[in-house]
Amino acid sequence: MIDFQKISRYVDFPLIASVIGLIVYGSMVVYSATAKDVPGDPFFSLNRQLVWVALGIVLAMIVVVLDYNRLRNWIVPLYIAIAAVLLLVMFTGASELGAQRWIDIGAFRFQPSEFAKIIIVITLAGQLSLYKGDLSNPKNTLLAFAHVGLPLFLIYKQPDLGTALCILAITLGIIFAAGIPLRQFMVILFIGMAVVLVVFNFHLLKDYQMKRLIVFLDPDVDPLGSGYNLLQSKIAVGSGMFMGKGFMSGTQTNLRFLPMRSTDFIFAVVGEEFGFAGALALIGLYATMIIRGIRVAALSKNLFGTLLAAGIVSMWVFQILINIGMTTGIMPITGIPLPFISLGGSALMTNLLGVGILLNIYARRFV
Amino acid sequence: MGLMNREYRKYIEEEIAGKSLDKSQKPEDIKGRLFGFVVFAVLVFSVLLGRLWFMQVMQGESYQKQADSNRRRIIPIDAPRGYIYDRNHKVLVSNRPGLAISVMPTIAQVNKGVIDRLAVLTGMTTKEINDKLSATNADPLKPRVIKRDVDKKIVAYISEHQADFPGVDLTVETIREYPLGNLSAHVVGYLGEISNDELKAKKSDGYDMGDVVGKTGVEKAYEWALRGTKGSQQVEVNAAGRPLRVLKNITPNPGHDLILTIDIGIQEAAEKALANGIAEAKAGRFKKANAGAVVVMDPTNGEVVALASYPTYDPNLFLGGISSKNWETLTNPSSGYPLNDRAIMAAYPSGSTFKVITGIGALADGLTTASRTINCTGTWTGFGAEWAKSCWLKSGHGNVDFISAVAQSCDSYFYQLGYEFEKKGGERLQYWARVFGIGKQTGIDLPSEATGRVPDKKWKKEFNKDFPEYQTWVPGDTVNMAIGQGDLLLTPLQLAMDYSAVANGGTIYKPHTVRSVVNSDGKVVYDNKPVVTQKLPVSQEAIATMKEGLKQVVANGTAAGLFSGFPMPVAGKTGTAEVQGKDDFAWFAGYAPADNPKYVAVCVIEQGGHGGSAAGPVVRSVLAKALNVQEQGMVKAEDASR
Repeated sequence: MIDFQKISRYVDFPLIASVIGLIVYGSMVVYSATAKDVPGDPFFSLNRQLVWVALGIVLAMIVVVLDYNRLRNWIVPLYIAIAAVLLLVMFTGASELGAQRWIDIGAFRFQPSEFAKIIIVITLAGQLSLYKGDLSNPKNTLLAFAHVGLPLFLIYKQPDLGTALCILAITLGIIFAAGIPLRQFMVILFIGMAVVLVVFNFHLLKDYQMKRLIVFLDPDVDPLGSGYNLLQSKIAVGSGMFMGKGFMSGTQTNLRFLPMRSTDFIFAVVGEEFGFAGALALIGLYATMIIRGIRVAALSKNLFGTLLAAGIVSMWVFQILINIGMTTGIMPITGIPLPFISLGGSALMTNLLGVGILLNIYARRFV
Repeated sequence: MGLMNREYRKYIEEEIAGKSLDKSQKPEDIKGRLFGFVVFAVLVFSVLLGRLWFMQVMQGESYQKQADSNRRRIIPIDAPRGYIYDRNHKVLVSNRPGLAISVMPTIAQVNKGVIDRLAVLTGMTTKEINDKLSATNADPLKPRVIKRDVDKKIVAYISEHQADFPGVDLTVETIREYPLGNLSAHVVGYLGEISNDELKAKKSDGYDMGDVVGKTGVEKAYEWALRGTKGSQQVEVNAAGRPLRVLKNITPNPGHDLILTIDIGIQEAAEKALANGIAEAKAGRFKKANAGAVVVMDPTNGEVVALASYPTYDPNLFLGGISSKNWETLTNPSSGYPLNDRAIMAAYPSGSTFKVITGIGALADGLTTASRTINCTGTWTGFGAEWAKSCWLKSGHGNVDFISAVAQSCDSYFYQLGYEFEKKGGERLQYWARVFGIGKQTGIDLPSEATGRVPDKKWKKEFNKDFPEYQTWVPGDTVNMAIGQGDLLLTPLQLAMDYSAVANGGTIYKPHTVRSVVNSDGKVVYDNKPVVTQKLPVSQEAIATMKEGLKQVVANGTAAGLFSGFPMPVAGKTGTAEVQGKDDFAWFAGYAPADNPKYVAVCVIEQGGHGGSAAGPVVRSVLAKALNVQEQGMVKAEDASR
């Protein structure tokens, strides 16, 4: 007899269940969004995605087996490695849609900025755990920002504004959990807002980034140009109504009115085909995963684990907020994938690594 | 970073071994902070769910409508236009299928190269295509037809390379077909794309930009009957605008057919005879002869049996939209304006054909009688010797009574009648001209009819308002008008209508070219019954006298010899209108059989010379065909009258 009670002391079943739920949900949506992309092979994209799922699960299991605390031995090589890869992307990476974000290895295309997110979580948590939670000295906070500054800059330059902002969100989440004095935290948020204003006023954004932001403010400015994506996305979500149009029956999706329907705008497919009910179910799964993640942070036996979990949770919350927000027109369009749902191997691997780390911390929470 | 020192490694090893009390190193308020995370996450999810509730539940229906209008496209299906038949049900105009290229502006303009490829393929310029696509008066989300009746090769190319032509559709539409070529082109008329003005006027009748409508002839006059009711197809399209499946189909109702009063055999004879007559005149002394018209009517009911205008045009040139080059050729001053239907649109000086009206008016007003004789010396001196006016026969006709005055077209006799009209006062001659319908449209069922002109005091003053010395109506004006010279203008149709009234004993019928409108089940939905415009207020005796005169014209008058060998008596009148700066316009108006008229035929040849010699033979040929008389080519006849 397997004693589930005993096992569940070490295995966070609700977390695993919510992640499996998300992967199954995501596979359905990816299938619906891509079934007609490759004539004669409706499973083309889904199959690739499932290969990534398998690889990601294997990777997550490896991560679970090794004590997460050993990661702290690797933070310098990890940091150097990700900085090097990001530099490599900058000079040699494959470009698409005007940005250099990818590195091709064999038949697979990696997006190092996705992996950068989880690596920054690890290295930043490692650095701050060394300060033993003492961020009352602003020097430590500044050191933390110096730490993230380099990869952040390299990613921003690709340009991948969305991921850069995601890394900022992770940083804020980790330093908040690490006990930064609230007043200092407020100052940082204030500086952040000032930076946004400066970026706007001095045109530090690329034209297309500016356009997307303006379109976010008023999508009807240019309904056939930059506003097209957002307009079609809103129509898709809204027209799903309460119950949705049904699996594979979304007209916006299946007739291709919805652009980037398998990646950035995949939530519009959820909204259109499964309606408010389906969106509620998806957000329910996310809420379970996030709450369990925060619980892991609370239960962690040490600060490093807490900060790791906090960073991973911050990463997910930010992405969910921005992605669903932009699809429904309340957030700027910044090209951020929806965790576990959007088509894309790098993001999926990164997120499964995060799950692996959370399970690891949970299993080793006993002193 | 200095994180890899030995002390640090030791610390990690301790933690892994569970020896360190790392838990105490967490911030004191870690629980509160993590609770902050929970609050933030709940806030995020609440905001997102609130937004989704607003969009999907509260505004869902409005988005639903937008999604539907995204994917549904209504493709109008043109109704096949009605056929046009002659009076014997011979097909004059039918339909054949043709393919048109239509383009969805929003899609084609976004996809680079589509318009360039279309331009290369169709031979249009990119500007022409862009102009059609960006016309502001149509719905930007509806496809526009950029070229009609496209060659099969082009169609095949587009179908095989659909991926290169997003937003481009091929639609089947009906194209007019003219099995008899350009025969009766002026009656039938041509089609063209609806103009902006027409669209404005007809929007409520369900017309759309790009619709093809009748522009002239019965195609225009009976547009309401011919067009039918459009159908539509509601299709589902993808984002590239390509139709995927039909959601709803409303079949169009075909237009009604027209049965014309035209007899295509007589029409053909009229067109041929007119062309021959002009060629003959040209071959002779009248090099400038280049245009003319023939009208053939049934005097008993106003039916137009043939209506020819020369030069003519080929309605096939208008299929699928006329090219600017062809349009230029057809409307250039050197073209002779072949699009104009001279039979109804041109107002000409009448020449002596008007003497019929002067004569009947004079008889009715008691100015003369059938037996009254006047001595024609070749000169008429009613205004005194210094104002003498000459008869066309300089040697004079001697003593002529009314009938021989008509037969010989004696100017002296009619000068005298004009003089007596003038003395009587009250513009009686003008009154009679108007009684015969000159100066206003006959009301024929064809567009753009001219009114002609009845000159009078008021008109002359107005017409010469910049030339005060010519503003006064002088007695000589009435005298000139009496013999058909001067400022009076009439259309060949008006003259045919008037001679019909003489032929039938005094009834003016409204001319018409369509006998009935028949629906696709063969049921008559509209019937053009004869309409009496006017009963001439004259005695039967006056008309009988004039008819006798007209009979004598052919028997031994100015048209003697014209109908020699014709198996039945014919009545008619020659006319030779003097036009300043031009050669004389030749007229002949007549009917046959003289005693029981079945057909009235009128011919005018611009700058063709004398009526009896130029226009007369044309009328003979036409009447011969109408009455089944075998003829050996056109007769040659001599006429020196006017």
